[in-house]
Amino acid sequence: MTVLSLADIEAAIRDALDTIRPGAVGLPGNADLTQEADLDSIDVMDLIMEIEDRLDLSIPVETLAQARTIESLRAGIHQLNGGKP
Amino acid sequence: MSLLDKFAAQRALQASLAQTGGVAPIATPMDDVDSATSGTIGGRRMILAGTNNYLGLTYNAACRAAAIEAIEAQGTGTTGSRMASGNYAGHRALEQALAEAVGWPSCIVFSTGYQTNLGVISALAGTGDYLMVDADSHASIHDGCKLSNATTIRFRHNDPENLDRRLARLGDEAHRALIVVEGIYSTLGDPAPLREIVDIKKRHGAWLLVDEAHSFGVYGPRGLGLCEELGLLDDVDFIVGTFSKSLGGVGGFCVGRHSELELLRFVSRPYIFTASSSPPSIASTREALRQVLDGHGLRAHLWRHAKRLYAEGKRLGFRMGTDTPAPIAALVFDDRTRARALWQALLDTGVYTNLMIPPATPSGVSLVRISLSAAHSDEDVTHIVSALEQARHTVFGLG
Repeated sequence: MTVLSLADIEAAIRDALDTIRPGAVGLPGNADLTQEADLDSIDVMDLIMEIEDRLDLSIPVETLAQARTIESLRAGIHQLNGGKP
Repeated sequence: MSLLDKFAAQRALQASLAQTGGVAPIATPMDDVDSATSGTIGGRRMILAGTNNYLGLTYNAACRAAAIEAIEAQGTGTTGSRMASGNYAGHRALEQALAEAVGWPSCIVFSTGYQTNLGVISALAGTGDYLMVDADSHASIHDGCKLSNATTIRFRHNDPENLDRRLARLGDEAHRALIVVEGIYSTLGDPAPLREIVDIKKRHGAWLLVDEAHSFGVYGPRGLGLCEELGLLDDVDFIVGTFSKSLGGVGGFCVGRHSELELLRFVSRPYIFTASSSPPSIASTREALRQVLDGHGLRAHLWRHAKRLYAEGKRLGFRMGTDTPAPIAALVFDDRTRARALWQALLDTGVYTNLMIPPATPSGVSLVRISLSAAHSDEDVTHIVSALEQARHTVFGLG
């Protein structure tokens, strides 16, 4: 498995976010997406599915169940992909 | 932030949906229900077109008689789990009848449809296994995944290619993957592309569970669901369903082609740690099952209504949730307030439907969901169409 860089992962997250919520792409990494981008629980799961397609990676639902910021999504995916925490 | 602060957003949402002096669109109080298709809401007579009562069997004379007879003979409840004192002959007979109907060796009856998915999915898939679930699955499926120790991976709604890619990533581990789909999805009424999913399942050596909650009784020559309709009963591993839709009772079931399903009784917590279904519910369901299996006439009646309503919905310019007629006619809106207004307008003209809003709906859409019944008369459907026509005029200023 190729280990993706943090920059690649963040680019995929922001690109996916732009699909789900246009305009939220420039939010800071620590912004709570449920508050700042008005994402509900289903939106967050849809966001993760968009990220999966961009990175060609399956992300188990339970892995990122609590992730609510770009930074936490990035860290969770990085770890899942074999990167060091 | 304190314990209860998280409910503030829900309070605001409910307040925005409420209308002073009006009837609540969510958890609508039913004053009275007096037939499969009629009742009183807010002091007014209504045609009920939002009840999942597809075959109208809740008021079927034989089903009612069976329930009454069971109460007289066995009492109102079992007060025990199937694993203790609640394992009555009726429960076992219903399981046998369902297994025989499908032609598979095993069936387990659960106390509700929700518990069926919870109990089957959580017990079938454990540590090291995978659950591949359609993104738009019912909450009971998602909750069953949460209760299991398996790894859950969602795939795009009704997108076989998306599922295929996810299974391919698993490699040999796909042999430990259970694909979970619904025959008909409850919000929009759209069918799963089962043929393609079966093909993918076989190619990867995975397993397939189909939830026929909304399709049992409605599809297939004997009403066994979409798998039967498409001739796929030999290709599916497990079928789950509910008693609370076309069968007109309360409870649920899982039928399996693998005899190991029987062993779930000893490990499925939602099966073990709850009281078994009451004798009247089991008795009415046994009779309803007989009527479903012999229900060509009921199904023909239902489908005639479905085709007519679909054509009329299209004619009136509504965005329909499906590409073809279905017993669920979902009218789709991007704007919650327009859906709310249509729901109210229909209620004002004596038609009760379901209002569905995010996050209970896919893709952030809002829906007015009309579910038809074989018990609706042609005049009922005419009334529903007239109400839609009138609402289209008053709410949207069209034609």
